[in-house]
Amino acid sequence: MRLQGRELLEYLCQKFGPTGFENEVADAIIEQLEDNCDRIVKDTFGNVYALIKGESSDRVMISSHMDEVGFMITDIDSDGYIKFSNLGGIDPKVLYGKQVILGNEKTRINGVIAAKAIHHKRREDRFSVTPIKEMYIDIGAKDEDEVKEYVNIGDFGVFNSDFVFFGTDNKYAKGKAIDDRAGCCAMIEIIRRIRENNITLPFDTYFCFTVREEVGLSGARVAAEKVKPSRAIILESTAIGDIAGAPDHKRVADVGSGGVISIMDRSTIYNADFVNFTLNTAKENYIKAQVKRYVSGGNDAGHIHKSGKGVKCVAISMGTRYLHSPACVASMDDYESIRELVFAMLKNMKAEV
Amino acid sequence: MELKKLIVDLSSLMSIGGFERFEREKLIALIGEHFDECYLDKVGNQIFVKKCGKENAHKIMLDAHMDEIGMYVTEILDGGFLRVTNIGGIDTGILQASDVIIYGNEERLFGVIASTPPHLASGDGKELPKIDELLIDTCLTKEELESKIRIGTPVGFAPKYTEMLNGRIMGKSFDDKACAACAVYATVTTPCEELAGDVYVMLSCCEEVTDMVAPGAYALNPDYAMSIDVNLGRVPGTKKEETVELGKGPSITISAVTDRKLTNMLIDAAKDKEIPYQISVSPTHTGTNAVSIQLAREGIPTVDVGLPLASMHTYNEIITIEDTKTLSDLISAFITDKRIAEEYGKGGIEI
Amino acid sequence: MYNTLKQITLVHGVSGHEHRVANTLKEMIAPYCDESYIDALGNLIAVKRGYSENPKKVLLCGHMDEIGFIVNFVEDSGFIRVAPIGGINWVACAFGEVVSENGVHGVLVPNSGTKASDFAPDLMYIDIGADNKKSAERRVKIGDTFVLKSNLTKLNASRVVGRPLDDRAGCGIVLEIAKRVAAEPVADDIYYVFSVQEEVGCRGSKTAAFAIEPDVSLTFDVTGTGDTAGSKPMAVKLGGGAAIKIKDMSVICDSEIVDRLARLSKEKGIKSQLEILAYGGTDTSSIQMTGSGCRAGAISIPSRYIHSGVEMIDMNDYRACINLAFEFIKE
Repeated sequence: MRLQGRELLEYLCQKFGPTGFENEVADAIIEQLEDNCDRIVKDTFGNVYALIKGESSDRVMISSHMDEVGFMITDIDSDGYIKFSNLGGIDPKVLYGKQVILGNEKTRINGVIAAKAIHHKRREDRFSVTPIKEMYIDIGAKDEDEVKEYVNIGDFGVFNSDFVFFGTDNKYAKGKAIDDRAGCCAMIEIIRRIRENNITLPFDTYFCFTVREEVGLSGARVAAEKVKPSRAIILESTAIGDIAGAPDHKRVADVGSGGVISIMDRSTIYNADFVNFTLNTAKENYIKAQVKRYVSGGNDAGHIHKSGKGVKCVAISMGTRYLHSPACVASMDDYESIRELVFAMLKNMKAEV
Repeated sequence: MELKKLIVDLSSLMSIGGFERFEREKLIALIGEHFDECYLDKVGNQIFVKKCGKENAHKIMLDAHMDEIGMYVTEILDGGFLRVTNIGGIDTGILQASDVIIYGNEERLFGVIASTPPHLASGDGKELPKIDELLIDTCLTKEELESKIRIGTPVGFAPKYTEMLNGRIMGKSFDDKACAACAVYATVTTPCEELAGDVYVMLSCCEEVTDMVAPGAYALNPDYAMSIDVNLGRVPGTKKEETVELGKGPSITISAVTDRKLTNMLIDAAKDKEIPYQISVSPTHTGTNAVSIQLAREGIPTVDVGLPLASMHTYNEIITIEDTKTLSDLISAFITDKRIAEEYGKGGIEI
Repeated sequence: MYNTLKQITLVHGVSGHEHRVANTLKEMIAPYCDESYIDALGNLIAVKRGYSENPKKVLLCGHMDEIGFIVNFVEDSGFIRVAPIGGINWVACAFGEVVSENGVHGVLVPNSGTKASDFAPDLMYIDIGADNKKSAERRVKIGDTFVLKSNLTKLNASRVVGRPLDDRAGCGIVLEIAKRVAAEPVADDIYYVFSVQEEVGCRGSKTAAFAIEPDVSLTFDVTGTGDTAGSKPMAVKLGGGAAIKIKDMSVICDSEIVDRLARLSKEKGIKSQLEILAYGGTDTSSIQMTGSGCRAGAISIPSRYIHSGVEMIDMNDYRACINLAFEFIKE
């Protein structure tokens, strides 16, 4: 079924796709894009490439990653409790007490990240963060054998979190994996828009849905070597701190003020011309955009810009509160701003930028 | 009446300490028709009565507390954020990135408890923030919030019940509404001619904060009582002697501060009816309403029983449906037991 | 109103030694009630019957006792060692002028060289100017009580500073309400309770409530504010109006009473604010839980620097408390 906008975002976010296990997300994306592209393929890594041919064979790459932060099962004890390790950076403070889904190629099973109750903690420990090694996942199994009927060591897990629209005019979304399914969602909608309006883009454009961003061993690196683009737009989610009491200089960006454009982060110094082109396109088309006001984080651009002969990169991010938690919060206004901005950029891109 | 559905229905109700009557109409719609009488006492305990049909019948009290842990709004901040204080001993380790419902004047609002982005975190990251340092993000404006809520507005965890293996289920507030459901279920499904007396199911309030059952028991003045609350389930890192096992049946508490004879008679009843049970030893305190009931008026013989539960005081508490069934059987055995009625139905000792 | 309050604050009444306050208040309230008596624990209870045939019982409570010190040893030097009664802030009391129930003056001081953070009963003593044990014992004996010297000063048109406003301000409010009720009779029976021993664990109000068996109660006591430099976040402000208590560490007030007070405040144009106190407790909890219990609420007087010699309230808040409570019992 073809989904759009909010429904599509929710559908993608609720897919099971921790780092290293992105197939379910990839299949959903391929299903949503069928017949919309000149070619759509999945490589051995799991990256999905959707091609829209343009006037020139010079190549533009747009990339979003499909994976989300999650877990991997490391051990199962004889009483049926599951030890785990995190995939991607997750603050232990958002793990304890949360519902999760565990799974592999065949199964999905519900569980919860638990630890001993507060009643059993020593008084001085009650206000300290429970370390991941003291947590376990409980699926209700009686013993180790019963667990193994469903999942085994090396299997995966993700948060189990309802997707909710809320806040002023219901225009805020809360859920898991908004990082970076929002980017995937925007790419799908941009491809469809190009096709529905019979637009011919200036360049051959490769929409890349990549794997394994969250652990840094990026699928985008492989994708960039394969596509060999001259320019790349990276759609991401970035952690922002626009919460009450946060000092202004550490807010990074504001939810609702448009896509967040990076000048520099810990992995990349972005191409100044390309950044200016992005900002000017936003201005000319009356699309909200904001410059990231803090040097933090990193994304697939770190690999892409150093690939081949070098690639001009720009990163446009959804400012997302509570990133890498089961309750990421982002604004649908920002989503639309990013979608419109990227669409306008692709249409107007010139060889000289 | 289906027990599992009743457990989820009761547990889903908003009944944060001080707001136990918030969804009273729904509660009455759920269970009211099965009782002869339902009323509120002076402090807000909700009492449901099933008569046995005999004159001068004994008064049997079943207590399970209706209140659940939650939060109150203490401050409305710029940008649509809220500060809160806890009602009851919430395990603060679970709070960040949790879904909450804000029970506003007219409508329910959704919110998320903010987690701290890494670049804003202070200290070594090993200390949990205190609850009054946390923020709830509503994505509304301060003006919108001020028209919808006020200081003292209750904030609860969003209900999300999920089934697990072996008939286990997780979600919010099984402490103590799963027990309340068992007390209701046992009373309703026991035919009235089998009851050893009139049964008063007291869904008491404010257990997590103070023992409001005390004035309740004083006013009701039953002949004998059972206090039903959840008991700490055995999980990794806990001691065997401080916990009970999920799936092995309800626990019966042996303690110096509950009625020993009544406890023994309940154990006998369980044995007679082949109801599985576990013994839980709490030498000097039960941590439940049992002691307050026991001490009401001139003393009310009270027995303390428990439902094994893991992850207590989080919003993903885990229980086993099998245990709730056997707990209901045990309660049913208690309210039909003629020997107990004979022993404790004759009133106090004159001096 | 201020003069009445001042008169009440000048009477000595450490927990367990409230009889002077009780006698003063008994005389003051006599014209406004039908009967009054002092019970076994020392609570002063005054009743004004309502005109209804089936009156409800409404209990209004303020506590008479104040925190202080009790003499437990007289040293050879004539210095007097004391133990605390109630929650003493030793830093706030150090180097303060103290007075005994018999009118003996002295100063409470720390042992020489003690750091402020170490101030504690064993390191503090009262110097009454005696040269030796013998001369000290002529004026003070073990079991006598001392308090920080009472005083009340107007800072400006509405703000008042001094002690013990905790909780003579509550007593004053209850007394003012009694005056209003006498002038404008209400349907229900009103029980004015001036309780003892609140500061040591809400003991007096428990027995008073047990005897009265009220349907509804309102307690009047001071509450902290969140508007002083470096204070913890709290929505209550001095001058922000009567504080309708939602909860403190000991009690969750009846939500219907809270809603009704909030509504009345809006309807009658009486300034009020909602209070959630993260610490402390009041007689509200003991009244709520005694016997078969009652619907309990509380109206608090916002106060800065509680349990010091410079407790500060705003008389506009004080007036709002009286007005709001009166509208409540009228309804």
